[in-house]
Amino acid sequence: MAFTNTNRPTRRLPLDPSLIVVALLLAAVVAVGFALSDRFGTTRNFMNVLEQAAALGFASLGQALVVIVGGIDLSIGAVVTASTVFMAGVVDLHPALMIPMIFGTLLFGAAIGFLNGFAIIKTGVHPLIVTLGTASILNGTVLIYTLQPTGGVPFWFEEFAYGRLGVIPISGLVMLLCFAVVWFLLRYSKTGRAFYAVGGSPEAARLNGIQSNRIILMAYSAGGFFAALSGTYFVSRTGVGDPRIGDPMTLASITPVILGGLVLGGGKGNILGVLLGVFLISLISNLLNYMNVSTFIQWVIQGLIIIFAVSIYVQKCKKL
Amino acid sequence: MSEVSAKATEKTTQQMALLRQFSVPIALVALVATATAVQPSFLSPNNIQDILTQTAPLALVVLGQAFVILVRGLDLSVASLMASVAVLATAFNATSNVMIPLIFASAILVSAVVGLINGLLVIKRNVSPFLATLAMMIVLQGIRFYYTQGAPSGSLPEGFRFLGAGRIAGIPVNVIAFTICFAGLAWLLHKSSFGRKIYITGGNPASADLVGIRSDRVTITCYVICSVMAGIAGLFLMGFVGTVDNWVGRGYELDAIVACVIGGIALTGGRGTLWGAAAGALILVLIFNIVIIMGLPVQAQMIIKGIIIIFAAALFAKAIQA
Repeated sequence: MAFTNTNRPTRRLPLDPSLIVVALLLAAVVAVGFALSDRFGTTRNFMNVLEQAAALGFASLGQALVVIVGGIDLSIGAVVTASTVFMAGVVDLHPALMIPMIFGTLLFGAAIGFLNGFAIIKTGVHPLIVTLGTASILNGTVLIYTLQPTGGVPFWFEEFAYGRLGVIPISGLVMLLCFAVVWFLLRYSKTGRAFYAVGGSPEAARLNGIQSNRIILMAYSAGGFFAALSGTYFVSRTGVGDPRIGDPMTLASITPVILGGLVLGGGKGNILGVLLGVFLISLISNLLNYMNVSTFIQWVIQGLIIIFAVSIYVQKCKKL
Repeated sequence: MSEVSAKATEKTTQQMALLRQFSVPIALVALVATATAVQPSFLSPNNIQDILTQTAPLALVVLGQAFVILVRGLDLSVASLMASVAVLATAFNATSNVMIPLIFASAILVSAVVGLINGLLVIKRNVSPFLATLAMMIVLQGIRFYYTQGAPSGSLPEGFRFLGAGRIAGIPVNVIAFTICFAGLAWLLHKSSFGRKIYITGGNPASADLVGIRSDRVTITCYVICSVMAGIAGLFLMGFVGTVDNWVGRGYELDAIVACVIGGIALTGGRGTLWGAAAGALILVLIFNIVIIMGLPVQAQMIIKGIIIIFAAALFAKAIQA
């Protein structure tokens, strides 16, 4: 451990070993898919997967930023839910507000994230507890407002989820763009590199002149922002605000982050690994659907993937 | 640091320490007073029995969760395990009460294996407790749903209803069961040498190893205790609810953690008592009850729970920092 250069965590190796692992797994899944089903390996199917991966992609991107600074956000699902209900509810009453409400919803998500970060910094309470508390408050509020799917948006808004630019789905494109921008900022901007420094050691980062608290606030705000973007995608897909749609997203958002080689505890990992993790999960679920494997068995597989991924990365870290 | 501010800090430290020490009894008294003010019949023997019956299953889970948190862990799989054990009980398709001990034995055995796997993943594979138990939660859920295909069937002996909701001489049966478990575990944690090993391991696993404590074994045992308690709680809750679905105990994993935090078990490990944890469970159930008797919507429970967990954790976090 003493020999690793902690100043430049992103440039230690030309290629992160965990990136190679996820890429290999991805290649294996694709190969199996080609072998088992002739409908799997079509452009059309891949584009569908890209379209469907967007919700998970946004949520995982937000989760990844929080994890990099050493936190965890268990309110992602609640923010997804709350933003769908907020957006569909307001737009239903005032259809003219559709476009402002896109920004309003994203801002709403960022504000919740900011509150999470603020509470964590001010109270010193573990992020797990704070975001769990926020999730409970948000879910309770949403369920007081409505118990069933509600509200509505203009029909054209489904273009965000279902629209295509040539063959490429718009939602997938937006997701790729978000990952590209975040990857670039993390790698080349001063603030982005500060994310890793704070995740490695907030105290050392502070002594190096980095305002750790500001970085933590930014990370949680971004987490909330991307959760709200995921919610926006769901509204576009379903046309309503659904008080339960986000429930599975909290835990789902963590799996690609782990697969991508980000370490809970912070300071390490490449955001591209998270993107590959999102594709891996989406392709596995797509392939299992083609193979008629029940959702219940898919849950078991998902749990085993988490254990498997964490175990190999932990062993790898020990060797280094 | 100047002398004045040092004195001021010392004073706040003392105040915080006092507050921390007495927060649980103060909260209990305040809640009972509030409830009685809103609904004078709150203190009627019947209502007290009802509240204790509701508390017992959660409190059983909380006892186990406390052990895991004391060794710096966390168990998110308890609720999933409760439901799985309930489904397992229906699998016997038993109608005679004679089968109850066998059902209990198999439930405890399965729970112990689950706890062992959790513990081994955390200790031997270095998986963070959060992820290991999360994965276990999903795996159990998948197996359970695959077995039931979404709709559990089968029958249960009548006796479970008595265990979950019956009374002996006015005392709820599940409260008696809780008392027995509490007495045993409290002795283990607070009186036995193994209990001291738990606190030392939770305080600092590395230094525990240096003084000759097998901290890995201690930690794994705590995970097994937690799962076994969750399994027992699952059977009692099943008896209380009277039916089995795939979600028996849903939400109990978080409620159990909340109760521990309210009761002063530090998530950083090595601090807190079993008394506090049990009181935390009672506080939580009292709050849920007050929400109902005040005529607020049930969903308000979630909001209040969220606010309380952040504030309770903040109270103890500040105390520890100071």
